[in-house]
Amino acid sequence: MNTFFLALMLIGAGGLQTLVTFRLFLVMKIIAVSAIIGGCGLGAYTAVMHLLQHTNPVVFNQDWLQIFTFSLKIDAVSAFFLVPVFAIPAIAALYSFQYLHDAKRGAAVAANYFFYALLIISMALVVCAGNLVTFALAWELMSVSSFFLVIYDVHKKQTREAGYLYFIFTQAGALFIFAGFGFIYAHTGSFGFEALAAIPDSAKLTAFLLILIGCGSKAGIMPFHIWLPYAHPAAPSHVSAVMSGVMIKMGIYGIVRFYLLLAPTSVVFGQIVIGLGIISGILGVVYAIGMQDIKKMLAYSSVENIGIILLGLGVGMLGAASGNETMAAFGFAGGLLHIFNHSIFKSLLFMGAGSVLHQAKTGSSNELGGLMKKMPVTGRAMLIGSISISGLPPFNGFISEFLIYYGAIHGLSLHGASFVFSILAIISLAVIGALAGAAFTKLIGVVFLGEPRTDKASGANEAGAFMGIALSLLAASCLVIGVWPDYFVQAAFQATQAIPLVADFEAGQFMPIMTNIARTAALFLLLFIVIAVIRRMLYLGKEVTSSGTWGCGFTQPTVRMQYTGTSYADTIVDFFRPFIRVEKKYSGINKIFPGKTTYSSHIEDTSELGLTNFIVQPVLFLLGKLRWIQHGNIQLYIGYIVLAIIAMLIFI
Amino acid sequence: MDFTFNLGSFLAFIAAFSLAPLFMGVILKVKAFFGGKQGPPWLIKYYTLIKLLRKGSVYSTSTSFIFKLGPVVSFVTAFMLLLFFPFAGLPPVLSFHGDVVILFYLLGLGRFFTVLAALDTASPFEGMGAAREVFFSALAEATIFIILALFFRLSGSLSFVEYFSGDQVVNLWSQSAALILLVLIALFIVLLTENSRVPVDDPATHLELTMIHEVMILDHSGPDLALIEMGAFCKMLFYASFVSCLLYPFHIGYPVVNIVIFAVIMTMIYAAVGLVESITARYKMDMVPNFILTSFALVFFATILTMEFVQ
Repeated sequence: MNTFFLALMLIGAGGLQTLVTFRLFLVMKIIAVSAIIGGCGLGAYTAVMHLLQHTNPVVFNQDWLQIFTFSLKIDAVSAFFLVPVFAIPAIAALYSFQYLHDAKRGAAVAANYFFYALLIISMALVVCAGNLVTFALAWELMSVSSFFLVIYDVHKKQTREAGYLYFIFTQAGALFIFAGFGFIYAHTGSFGFEALAAIPDSAKLTAFLLILIGCGSKAGIMPFHIWLPYAHPAAPSHVSAVMSGVMIKMGIYGIVRFYLLLAPTSVVFGQIVIGLGIISGILGVVYAIGMQDIKKMLAYSSVENIGIILLGLGVGMLGAASGNETMAAFGFAGGLLHIFNHSIFKSLLFMGAGSVLHQAKTGSSNELGGLMKKMPVTGRAMLIGSISISGLPPFNGFISEFLIYYGAIHGLSLHGASFVFSILAIISLAVIGALAGAAFTKLIGVVFLGEPRTDKASGANEAGAFMGIALSLLAASCLVIGVWPDYFVQAAFQATQAIPLVADFEAGQFMPIMTNIARTAALFLLLFIVIAVIRRMLYLGKEVTSSGTWGCGFTQPTVRMQYTGTSYADTIVDFFRPFIRVEKKYSGINKIFPGKTTYSSHIEDTSELGLTNFIVQPVLFLLGKLRWIQHGNIQLYIGYIVLAIIAMLIFI
Repeated sequence: MDFTFNLGSFLAFIAAFSLAPLFMGVILKVKAFFGGKQGPPWLIKYYTLIKLLRKGSVYSTSTSFIFKLGPVVSFVTAFMLLLFFPFAGLPPVLSFHGDVVILFYLLGLGRFFTVLAALDTASPFEGMGAAREVFFSALAEATIFIILALFFRLSGSLSFVEYFSGDQVVNLWSQSAALILLVLIALFIVLLTENSRVPVDDPATHLELTMIHEVMILDHSGPDLALIEMGAFCKMLFYASFVSCLLYPFHIGYPVVNIVIFAVIMTMIYAAVGLVESITARYKMDMVPNFILTSFALVFFATILTMEFVQ
């Protein structure tokens, strides 16, 4: 526990010192980045050691403000979440060293590092919280610090709007969580975590649903995901990397933690979570295909991956409720490992997108193209990230998806509704995987391959060395986990020991499968090298020339004739039309000698439309009628407060 | 991993790999027969491969290293399928519980790189082909994985060798024959889709706008194109073998007889592909999703039926 606090203090000191040293731009950045990296390294080491040594939960209690106990508890699940909480921000901090390069905005950069440190600390506290009050406190600290990180470019209207939207969502989500806590408190009468399992079954479902909605809005579960595609593009890229890679997983942590604490026995919990997973997964990836802004696309892809994680956890919950040990263990382990994997490849992709944005000054894929030649390091790292996130071997995304498949396939021995949900989980996972391939071939193909579509793209150059190192580190981790998954899978199984049914689960008997998967991946790499060498030999002494692309007889091709991201996505998006709305404006060709023809399309999020039309508009209308209450007279406002207190004293 | 160095299975693998181009000739012969022509020689695909391997290449100035990676990855992934498949009931070179999942995902990796190589050329036609390829294969993926789920339900296994020679085999002569019948039709549709055959895609058309797979490899030439073609032959052979192992119980009987029967069934399947190609036209592009989803509906129905069957 002491090293844990030391790590937090080091990170905190790194953040705090910026408030004093912000005039010395470079000094401030060096101290902040090294303190954060040092603290995170220490924290990650503590967490890994805790996982490896199978230690019993560590508890820390401190009475605070007389009635509240500040309580921390690190068990296997917390330790598993702590690893990405510390590891990813460290790498993102390295990246930020060159990303935040504008010395004129010294104070803003200082504030950014301050809140960045605060965000890491609060996330660490969320996963270690030992009672309701500590959880709520850490949760709010996390929401507020991330809000300030999002509005770094506060002078832009778009950023401010995104910030407000994020703030509203995060507070509305917190409202649901606190409602859930209040509901639990009404049954248990204590803020402790221990009493949760004892509340009646019917109350469990209500409490879980409230927390699911609250945590779901943080995690980006569809349809509570609306803030993601606004906040991620607005935030600086290292911040979006941490928010999308790690912070949204805190929502998942909340769901897992309260599921474990409530220890429900009904299959309904698993079915609800699988249902939400299917919606988030499939629609998330379809929207990702439709988006042309790189960071918006990555934001929707986070929704998709949250869906995959929920599928894993849901399969685990279903297995636990039906007494199917293998299904439960593999579902939970797959979901947890996917959390870890996603934190790696999503932060990689966001930082890579940041480098593109930094260099080309545009994030719209239809204005980019051909960047692989101009930005070789970023391009190759993004390629690896894209293969990993599509769940393809020999990279890490496949390992976690395989675990989920394996769990879901074992659910096929169940009967009735649970059987149907297992089947649905398998189909969705397959479809999500294939569509993710479509989304990320689009990202790589349109942004990095082909010819530059505009001058912005042709003027781009490789980003700084630190940014390249950060990307390469993450890309290397993707391959390492894909080819040597044993330790990581074992760590995930270790974390599932907290689940009663699988506490005695012998993961060892299934490890040969993982070894075989790893060997197949290695065999693939070996054959790949062999064939690549043979190919090289076949070309020895042959005539190899270069020429323009074959235009099927057309001799005057221009770069504007390339397939754009919009055209690539069109058929797939059209297929899912009731769930995704595409507004197309096409001037048409209606004269013999057509004039200027224009075409534009825009994708609207149906959840956002629904929310605006059915909740926000009616509420605004209703509250508009009550405008007269808000008149600006301080005396009368004090009168309101007094009246409210009197009313409460009378009625309660 | 079960690595049994069994001479028989190794020879079967070599034979399958080297005969893959020959079977493609069957399709051409059948089509020629229906066209009233004599058709190309049986060994036409070998001649093509040799011709390609002897040539050099022309690379588009738009392309990057991805364009050269594409053929290698797509060949290796298709080649690996053959290592794990039990041809004619003989044990495969490699196998383990769970191999089907990683093999189908490896095919996905091959597709990923083929699509990227197509987009690398900056050609509008190749982009068009790529967009169709990813869409149709996403639909076919749903069918494939529900077949895997169904086979797990029927046989409790996740490996090709266990499907066809385990305790609970799946084929047209087992207890669940009615379900396998539905799977067979679905799998044949997937075979046509994944291998870009009529009515999903027409490999013989003359207009690039109407192609899917062929248009994606327009710019490849020489040994690169040979690798792509050989990969495509391996993939076709894999799907055809998958169908034939469902048609006949290869786990019983003498290996020699089985090999002969296997060869006959394989020829019939390739002939059936040729027959479909001779008597139907390619569907309109917006009809293709319906065609593929038919296969999905069939296997989904079969899987729902198991709720009563297997209990």
